[in-house]
Amino acid sequence: MNEGSLWIILQRMRLPFIVILSTYTIAMTGLLLIPGVDENGNSFQLSIFDAFYFISYTATTIGFGETPFPFTHNQRIWVSVSIYLVVIGWFYSIGTLLSLFQNKVFLSEIAIARFQHFVKNLEENFVIVLGYNETTREIIKRLLAAKMRVVVIEVNQERADYLQLEGFVPHVPILVKDAHNPNALEYAGIKSRYCKGVISIFEDNALNLRITLAAKLLNPKVNVVVKATTVEEAENLRDANADIVDNPFEIIAYQLQMALKAPSLFKLENWLYKTDTLESKTFSIPDTDIIICGYGRLGATIYEMFIKNNITPTVIERNDSRVNTANYAGVNKIIHGSADDHFYLETANIYDAKLIIIVTDDDTINLSILSTVKKMNPKALIIARENEMTDFSIFSQAKIDRLYIPDRILIQKTTNALSNPLGDKLIRMIANKDEAWGHALLVNLVKNLGVNPKTYELDLTEKEAYEIHKYLKNKENTLALGILKLSRRDRNRKNNLLPLLILRENEEILLPTDETLLQINDRILFACDSNAIDDLEYIANNAYEFKYVIFGEEKKLFFR
Amino acid sequence: MNLDKIVAGFFIILAMTLNFGFCYGDALDMNMHSKYELFAAIVVNLIATVLKLGDKTQMGSVLIATSLVANLQLIIAATIWTIFADGETVNPHIFGIIISLSVGALLANITSVLLYVGDTLKSKR
Repeated sequence: MNEGSLWIILQRMRLPFIVILSTYTIAMTGLLLIPGVDENGNSFQLSIFDAFYFISYTATTIGFGETPFPFTHNQRIWVSVSIYLVVIGWFYSIGTLLSLFQNKVFLSEIAIARFQHFVKNLEENFVIVLGYNETTREIIKRLLAAKMRVVVIEVNQERADYLQLEGFVPHVPILVKDAHNPNALEYAGIKSRYCKGVISIFEDNALNLRITLAAKLLNPKVNVVVKATTVEEAENLRDANADIVDNPFEIIAYQLQMALKAPSLFKLENWLYKTDTLESKTFSIPDTDIIICGYGRLGATIYEMFIKNNITPTVIERNDSRVNTANYAGVNKIIHGSADDHFYLETANIYDAKLIIIVTDDDTINLSILSTVKKMNPKALIIARENEMTDFSIFSQAKIDRLYIPDRILIQKTTNALSNPLGDKLIRMIANKDEAWGHALLVNLVKNLGVNPKTYELDLTEKEAYEIHKYLKNKENTLALGILKLSRRDRNRKNNLLPLLILRENEEILLPTDETLLQINDRILFACDSNAIDDLEYIANNAYEFKYVIFGEEKKLFFR
Repeated sequence: MNLDKIVAGFFIILAMTLNFGFCYGDALDMNMHSKYELFAAIVVNLIATVLKLGDKTQMGSVLIATSLVANLQLIIAATIWTIFADGETVNPHIFGIIISLSVGALLANITSVLLYVGDTLKSKR
């Protein structure tokens, strides 16, 4: 029990305690004053202890009888009075104590204490997730799968109960409190050295900003992952030092741009996000005859992207104010009307369209447009947006070429950034490479490692790579990256291991060569198979294996 | 003027005075120490403890601690007296223990009163 709940008990029980004390004293004093008679008829005075004993079992209604000798009439009169006095006092305090255990404040204090106790004893890397809903539920699942622990803060008791029903393994503790309350973040262990990040993806952008500020003040080292849906908000959040700002609309537009300009990079990115293999169907976007249905936040972001690439899509939008925004933004091919109407679609030249992007923020309208468009032009590529994330999706049954669910994008991006930070970094670095570079890497990966290689991250720290760290601590020793590729069964053979990225304090090496010299605290990302991961872990930590791959002989224990 | 303060001050000081009254006199002379006064001292000390509960400040915590010490010593003294009174063997040796325990409690009570007075003087209202 923590301080808070203890103090509540003490404060509430003050009056009951005083009532018990005074009733006991009054009853005992009476018994001490009134003389009794012993078995021989002599006058007998009860001792203080006798009186206390008698009152104690009378007050609690146990009633052992009259001790040490049967009472006289005078004594019995007084006992009748005192029974009512002490029994009522006793019941009053028990009643207060029971009502205390049903008191909401008291119960929440106990829950907070248990939560804090759990977080304090959590000695694994964990992430604080704010708010519990469909999206964060998926995020929690993915983080747990990536061997991260999760603690949740949720303001609504009902939704917190749903989390309990979910039965996550390992246990996910939940705190019922407002997330923007700095205390809540502190209870959730934001100052702990095991806390790797805070995820705040509320719809309310002001709330996201507030949480970012609070989190960064409490622990500047913690990663803050927030959601933004406009460029200005993203700017604000970056100013507040948020580490990862997710804008699902921008991510979608960016992915389309990749598919348009560098399909190989697009495949690599999907593989790094673990949503597809390297062999996925090439999805190439035509550069003419594009129709965008809906000029909301997503539609506008996608439109901007196409304009930047010198492509002018046709936009269909029925909402007046959005049409005004579009006109103001300089959209020249805009049709004011409902996109599921034959007339407007014909105006937009639907029969010649090669790509139709359906991105209104209403799922019913999206479905309606989808069925109309499919009838009028079955050959066109279709990209659609689904807003409600449910387990069973009607959209996925509709044979759409590419389906975007903003919430799901958010989930992939967020979990990837926290559980696979180097992969996230790599995705950002390859963004400005060209198709030729991407194609070369893609071919290399598929040739050596198959269509779905694993990724593995090795930090050259004392904890993760003991032997390498020890070896490199001696300044005279150097170690080339190529050593890590050797098989520990036969050092003349190499494992299937492809280093993708080395991250140092002030240097990032993309696709490092075998000759690259390693440094202490390097963070290396590999693409590899499970056999190579196994070998790498042994070489990094086991003195014998390490000696063998470097010098070709095992470490000798006795004869040096 | 505040009724709460009057009641609390009354019991805290009464706890000390009763305790003093019980200890006062020749330590080995049983006639100079009334068991009823010890009883009263224990009750008033318990009430004073309860009155001090629920104050989360540093001062409040120390006040509770002093009261708990006084209670502990007085209750042990009373228990010893009860045990030996049963066999009617309250000799001067046992009685010396009882009195010294209650003198210890008196020290705790004096500390408590000093703290209480100090806190009152510090208060601006």
